[in-house]
Amino acid sequence: MDDEDLVFKALADPTRRLLLDRLFERDGMTLGELEAEVPELTRFGVMKHLGVLEQAGLVATRKQGRHKHHYLNPIPIRLIYERWIDKYRDRRAAALLDLRDELEGNR
Amino acid sequence: MSAAAEVDTTTQVYQLYIKASQEEVWDAITNPEIVAKFFHGARVESTSEVGSKLRSFSPDHSQMWNDNTILECDPPRRLVHTWGSLYDPEMAAEPESRVTWEIEAQPGGFAKLTLIHDRLGQSPKTAASVKGWSYILSNLKTVIETGEPLPPVV
Repeated sequence: MDDEDLVFKALADPTRRLLLDRLFERDGMTLGELEAEVPELTRFGVMKHLGVLEQAGLVATRKQGRHKHHYLNPIPIRLIYERWIDKYRDRRAAALLDLRDELEGNR
Repeated sequence: MSAAAEVDTTTQVYQLYIKASQEEVWDAITNPEIVAKFFHGARVESTSEVGSKLRSFSPDHSQMWNDNTILECDPPRRLVHTWGSLYDPEMAAEPESRVTWEIEAQPGGFAKLTLIHDRLGQSPKTAASVKGWSYILSNLKTVIETGEPLPPVV
């Protein structure tokens, strides 16, 4: 599987997106702290999901004394943005979205 | 001290793989000609000696952007320097933070680059601004892998 596949696969899961959101709010949490953030998951569940996120490069870890801290690494999302979003963000796409909002009465 | 109290939430970590050797990545982050290509055209001046200055200027050299000090220099693996954003008066007034570059050789002809920007606890404006490392580092990857920078941000 290439890097991009790993990132899309990791982002496809709502629990993993939740863990990323929690790290966005408070970066550098330990496993124990992340566990407390998502009480509906077991320790094993959190570890498993963190493993997938780490493998995809979305989470980077640093050891500090006895603790391992988890950091949200924004680079893979930046690379996907450049590869998949930037090039479609032209005027035509923006005009179509404007038209849709207009028709749906969103503005 | 409890584990929670030790957590410094003002550390930012950026990590990426670059199709290049450890030496090529080291060269890219220390060679002024290459730095200019991925870092907003900055003109960097440094002797790479520990304790000496690592300064950067605007492309026309009229403005000093950084007046950093090199804390560690271990080519081609590790470079640590202070960080102060002089290009903005509010950020310039904040305490200096610290930037660590780590380069590890990886199988398959890749290098893993990790940038850690920490000691940002007393420097919230700088902390918010240096989120721009994402753009800089993906630009660095493009420059190393293709020789050309990304199109400028409009």
